[in-house]
Order: sequence, then C-alpha cells, then structure tokens
Amino acid sequence: MATLKINDLHVQVEGKEILKGISFSISEGETVALLGPNGHGKSTLFNAIMGHPRYKITQGSIYLDDLDLTNLSTDERARAGLFLGLQNPAEVPGVINSDFLRAAVNATSKERISTYKFYKLLDNATKELKMPFDLATRSLNEGFSGGEKKRNEILQLMLLNPKIAMLDEIDSGLDVDAIQTVADVINKLEAQGKGFLVISHYARLFDLIKPTRAIVIVNGKIVLDGDPSLIKRIDQTGYEFIKTELGISIEKEENKMNEVSIGSCAVRESIKK
Amino acid sequence: MNKIIVEENTNLDLSTLDSQLSFECSKSKSNLYLHNLKSDNELSFDVLENSVLYLSIFSDKVLENCKITANLGKKSKIVVYFADFSVSKNKLDATINLNEEGATCEWHLASLSSNNDNKDIVVNIYHNHPSTFGRIDNYGVCKDKGQLTFSGISYINKGCHLSKSHQNAKIVVFDNECVAKAKPILKIDENDIEASHAASVGKVSDEHIFYLTSRGLNLEEAKMLITLGYLKPILKGFNDSIQNAIDSLIERRLSNV
Repeated sequence: MATLKINDLHVQVEGKEILKGISFSISEGETVALLGPNGHGKSTLFNAIMGHPRYKITQGSIYLDDLDLTNLSTDERARAGLFLGLQNPAEVPGVINSDFLRAAVNATSKERISTYKFYKLLDNATKELKMPFDLATRSLNEGFSGGEKKRNEILQLMLLNPKIAMLDEIDSGLDVDAIQTVADVINKLEAQGKGFLVISHYARLFDLIKPTRAIVIVNGKIVLDGDPSLIKRIDQTGYEFIKTELGISIEKEENKMNEVSIGSCAVRESIKK
Repeated sequence: MNKIIVEENTNLDLSTLDSQLSFECSKSKSNLYLHNLKSDNELSFDVLENSVLYLSIFSDKVLENCKITANLGKKSKIVVYFADFSVSKNKLDATINLNEEGATCEWHLASLSSNNDNKDIVVNIYHNHPSTFGRIDNYGVCKDKGQLTFSGISYINKGCHLSKSHQNAKIVVFDNECVAKAKPILKIDENDIEASHAASVGKVSDEHIFYLTSRGLNLEEAKMLITLGYLKPILKGFNDSIQNAIDSLIERRLSNV
C-alpha cells in the first residue's frame, strides 16, 4: 500500500513563502479532505507536490513510499503514481483530447496500449462519466464549459490509474447530477484502494465521498488534522473557531488589486510613478 | 491564360502546367487539390454565384513569389487549407475579393519554418460588398534559424456594413535564432460590422507543459504534442493518403525538436 509522506514542506512562489512547514501523510484507500480559507496554501500544496516549476520547495521533502520525489520532474512524479486534477485546466488548442489521453496512458502504464484497447477504455470511461464521446475528439479543453473541463479531469484520473490523486475544487462548475457522477467515480476508485486528497469549499461533495480524515491549512501551516466531523463544523460555522479555540489569527488575503483599475486614468497613474 | 473549369473533385499537379492559371468554379460543392506548387505561380480563382470551393494546397518545394487571387460572387464560399512545408526562401501573397452579398472566405494555413527558411506569408481580404464574411487562421512553427512572418490586412470598405472579418495568427518559436512575426491588421471604413484580430508569438506555454507533464508525458513528448497542435489541424482539409504524406513529413521535420 503506497503512502505519500510530506515532511516539513516550505514552498515559495515568486519569492514569497506560502507554505511554512507542512507535514502529513496519506495512504492508498484514504480520502482526506483538505480545508482552509482562500489564499492560505491549499492549491500551492498540490502544485508543489506535483512539481510545478513556479512553486519552489525551499525546505522539506516529499516521499512516495521510499521514493524521494522532492527533486524529481513533474512527469516522473506522475509516473510514480501521483495525479493532480486541476482547478483551472489549461486549454491547449490543436492538441486532440484523445491523442493526449493516449499519450498519457502510454506514458504511465508499463506496456503500450493497443488502439482498440484504448478506445474501448475511453468509450467505457466517457459513458461512466456521462460525457459525450465527441469531447474526446476535440481540442484539449478548448471551448469546453467549466463542467466539461472538470469531467475531462476525472476522465484522465480514470484512465491514468494513479496511486494517490489530488483533486482541486473538482466540484466547482458541476451541477448536482454531475457532482453525483464524479462522486460515484471517486468512491469506486477509493474502494479499489486509491488515495484521495480533496479540496472543496462545499460540503455536498464531501457528503458524497465521505472522507476518512480532514486537514485544515491556515497561514501556510496545518492547524488541524483530525476526523471528518471537522468538515461539518466548518461548513456550518466557518473558520472563526480556529481563532477562538486555537488562538491562531487568520491572515487576511493580501489585496491583489493593481494600483490602476478601471475607472481611473491609467496614464496619469503611470506618470505619477 | 488557360482557364480550368473545376469539377466536383479535381486533383492537379502544377509542376507541368503553366505558371499562370485561372480557375472557374460554378458547382454547388467542389474540391480542388493542388500539389507541386512552384515559384512564380499565379493562380486566380473565380467562384461564381452560389458555388462553394474547397481548395486544398500542399507545398513541400521552393515557393518564391507565389500569388493567389480569388474573386467571390453572390452567396459563394471559398474554404482554403494551405499546408505550407515548402523550403528555403518563400513568399506567398494571397488576395481574396469578396465582391457580392454573402461571399465568404475561410482561410486556414499551417506553416513550418526550419533550418534557414525565410517565409513571408501575406493574406489580404477585401470586403467589397455589405454582408460579406472573412476568416483567416494562420498557424506556424518556427525552429532553428527559421524566419516566419504572417501578415494580412482585412479591408472593410465604405458601405460594406454587416460584414464580419476575423484574423488569427499564432506562431510557436523554438530556438533563439528564430525570427517570427505576426501582424494581423484590420482596416475598417464602415460602422455596424464585426471584426477581430489576434496574434501570438512565443515559446510553448509553461502552463501547457505543466499540464501535459503532470499526466506523465516527458518534456519532449509534451512539447511535441503541443507543437503538432499548431500543424496537424490543417490535415482535415486533405484526403487520407495526402494526410498520411503530410503527417510523416511533419514527424520527419520535427524529429530533432
């Protein structure tokens, strides 16, 4: 049974430290809910685990069993058994979805898959996701609706068969029926022994996939790692109790607005500088 | 000048024909496939009322000073698929005249500039009548010391309201010595029209690379797949055997990427 082990992870983005010492582990068969206010490092953690070049690991380590992933490239981490379902998957014009999926399946499986077998796999997976097959023959995510993009992420998850999957707000943009469909897939894969690390702001998805644990990240650190009743509590009362009970004040997201915004005179503002 | 009447399915090898040729198309749907385009070719197309011409051109030779002109009549349409894998110094100049109501042009081009190729591709669309529609999609890949310029002007002339004109020029660049330019220009002299232009020149996007590598593709595979995305969509304008020929040409030319 594979275990992903994160130890004292510090991550910087463009010179600013976002994660300030994260340690936890997750094994196959577990579903862990990752909670925390916006801008406190949840997506940063996923991107850093997957090896996005913009997210610099300055301290700490990431292991999948005995394999040190900390300095491996993104594709090596994927082939080791990690998967990241993105919050905003890129639109890649001209790259046919099914060509990409097939290249990805071939990259992550031990032997090359035959054309027939691949289409069979693709056909079954799209049916299970109630996804029109023609999405597989279009350009990767190009012109897909928000919900179609998310289904396409789950389609990749199904085809690639990772050990541990991270899902970043996979439910946003999905309607009620689609959330049920996606939850069914996650439950099926969990029963097969996959591990899931899931970010969501809505209790609905968590009600359906029933996490085994919940982790709360505040100010770039894990402040709680406990049983899933935390999800209900946070859904009902928000993060205020972290301040009152744990004495941790929640840093506000920085105001990222440009100095110049619509309505002001951009020329005058830039002359002032 | 010889005039060639385009039948429903016409394949023409231009290497043995005159440089200057004129084509007339009067069918409700016809496919014309041209290969072995050569330097100094001057091709002119008259697409008559209510006719549709699908023009597919595949070029893998030297192509200097090549000119294409198309004149479109009422409710006629020309759809061009130009697979440009020509070599060395190339200049292609296309002019589309949308002369009557409902005249439509869809122009698709994919171009590869590698080694010391120097390519200059100009596509101009003239909206000479109200309610005419033009679209230009130029996609290019530039590597080694290749040079590639896409330019084009969409003119919407005075009085040609309710016309639509869209241009899209994208070039992906691989090496430091490449020179790539995209200059989509709109010249508009009328209100109540719809027009847009988009241009991008640059290396393969880091976000795209991350996305593809996060699915297990290595960096080279990811780059190749994204690059093929610029060139391969042109294949849909060709029949199976030509598709295979272009496909293997692309893979051969990009094999050292």
